[in-house]
Amino acid sequence: MPSTATALLRKDFTIEFRTRFGVSAVVMFLLVTVAVIAFSTPGEQLSSSILSAFFWIALFFGGMTGLARSFIAEEERGTAFLLRVYAPSDSIFIGKFLFNLAMMLSLALVSVLAFLFFFRDFAVKDWPMFLLQLVLGATGIASVSTILSAIIGRAVQKGALLPVLALPVLMPLVIATTDATRITLEVANSWDGIRENILILLSFDVAITLVSYVLFDVIWKD
Amino acid sequence: MKIIRSYPFLFFLAAAMTVAVYFSLATPVVGNFGDVVTFKMNGTANSIPVLLKLDRSAFDTLGGPHIIATDRYGTRQVVRIASKSQIEEAGVKPGSSFVAQVEYIPAERTYVLGPIERVDPVMTFDFIPGLGELGRNMLFHVPMSMTAFLAFLIGTIYSILYLIKKRPGYDRSARAASAAGLLFTLLATITGSIWARFSWGTFWNWDPREVSIFVLLLIYVAYFILRSLLEESEEKKARIAAVYNIVAFVSVPFLMFVIPRIKQSLHPGGGGGEAPIINTSSTPVHTDPALLNMHWIMVLLFVLLFLWMKDLFARVLAMEETTEN
Repeated sequence: MPSTATALLRKDFTIEFRTRFGVSAVVMFLLVTVAVIAFSTPGEQLSSSILSAFFWIALFFGGMTGLARSFIAEEERGTAFLLRVYAPSDSIFIGKFLFNLAMMLSLALVSVLAFLFFFRDFAVKDWPMFLLQLVLGATGIASVSTILSAIIGRAVQKGALLPVLALPVLMPLVIATTDATRITLEVANSWDGIRENILILLSFDVAITLVSYVLFDVIWKD
Repeated sequence: MKIIRSYPFLFFLAAAMTVAVYFSLATPVVGNFGDVVTFKMNGTANSIPVLLKLDRSAFDTLGGPHIIATDRYGTRQVVRIASKSQIEEAGVKPGSSFVAQVEYIPAERTYVLGPIERVDPVMTFDFIPGLGELGRNMLFHVPMSMTAFLAFLIGTIYSILYLIKKRPGYDRSARAASAAGLLFTLLATITGSIWARFSWGTFWNWDPREVSIFVLLLIYVAYFILRSLLEESEEKKARIAAVYNIVAFVSVPFLMFVIPRIKQSLHPGGGGGEAPIINTSSTPVHTDPALLNMHWIMVLLFVLLFLWMKDLFARVLAMEETTEN
């Protein structure tokens, strides 16, 4: 990994630890979502399909609130120009992508804990497969939001735009992960049921990450 | 590209489109004697149109006016007619084929000839059980969907070309192709949902392919929203929109080809079932050759129509840019 990518990663983590803006916003979002779900379904037996839909809605929109900042913050602070001078664009993509991935994975971790704590029916039957599809889903969301937040760094309505652009692109992933989550909540030995979903996730992740990596340079340079 | 704008081409396209649409709508959908019995027995329809060939030994006396006719599968049957004039007035001669409503009377085990609808039809489509006349939609809905995919593919190729060569014309073509693709997607959605109303009972029921086409609409609407929200020079706008177009196209094959084949679907080919669209099973489902050929003609014509629309949209965009400067 290029040293500039590690430096960028360290810089983003330092800023995040100092301000805790991203993490606190995302955790707040998540808790509010969980509270709304809990209040709207008091004492109800939630089926695994509904729970997996709620889980990914929380994760997707939580990710959108947190990850949209990665390039918008640079543009707003006026540091985007310095970044352009300082590092080649591929290491910027790698650094930002890894930071977004770390954010997304921690969000996923917090979501799993919150869902396990608040929803009795959210009982994962097949943990290895559940974690596998969770990591693959989080990777796809991180990769798409990295390139798209670089795109909307240059648009007018920055805040609302990321979900609008990202949801349709991420739809194959969301369809596959919600299905995979549902199955891992239902059966203990789920590989046969989720194999096709895992293949979709894997191929989608690889394709979208490669395409984003190649095209990032076009967005980034002036 | 010039040929697409030429009058001879446009006249050809308009004429061919008219003829093809006429044949798609007017070609009779016919069954055979077996279908008549099936439909009578399960109470779906009293009589259905059948393509019959009148044998030479017609109008004999079997205790009333009868004809002997052969259906498409070569089944010969005695069919009761009202009178000899019913056949003669319609102009059906021995050896000629005609489409007529045929009813089966189970008690008498006889077929009865209803009104004669067409004599010597140019072509006929197979009666698909459960679809009947609705099967015609395959000639509009499916070619529209195929053209939409092709349009998005071409749009993405133009976006890639734009990023490589930086020629504004490619950007306009990418936008024009995506806009035309959006239009074809919309038409496919409308024809599909009207069809679904009469075949499945509701306009919309979130079938995997319906989800896919809905998301496709969202993707390309988002593409145009993004473009309108960029406040940059034309060159940068084009570059950023091209990147979104390429990134978004990654999910198009998943939406159109992968997910509808894996999930349980009301569309053919869902849930690993047999797919007349792309046959992979060892015992493929065969589509009626007449319907299939007509379908490919419609695909060709829709693609030509798309190319003309794309060219037109691109020229409008070019004019707008000239007037703005």
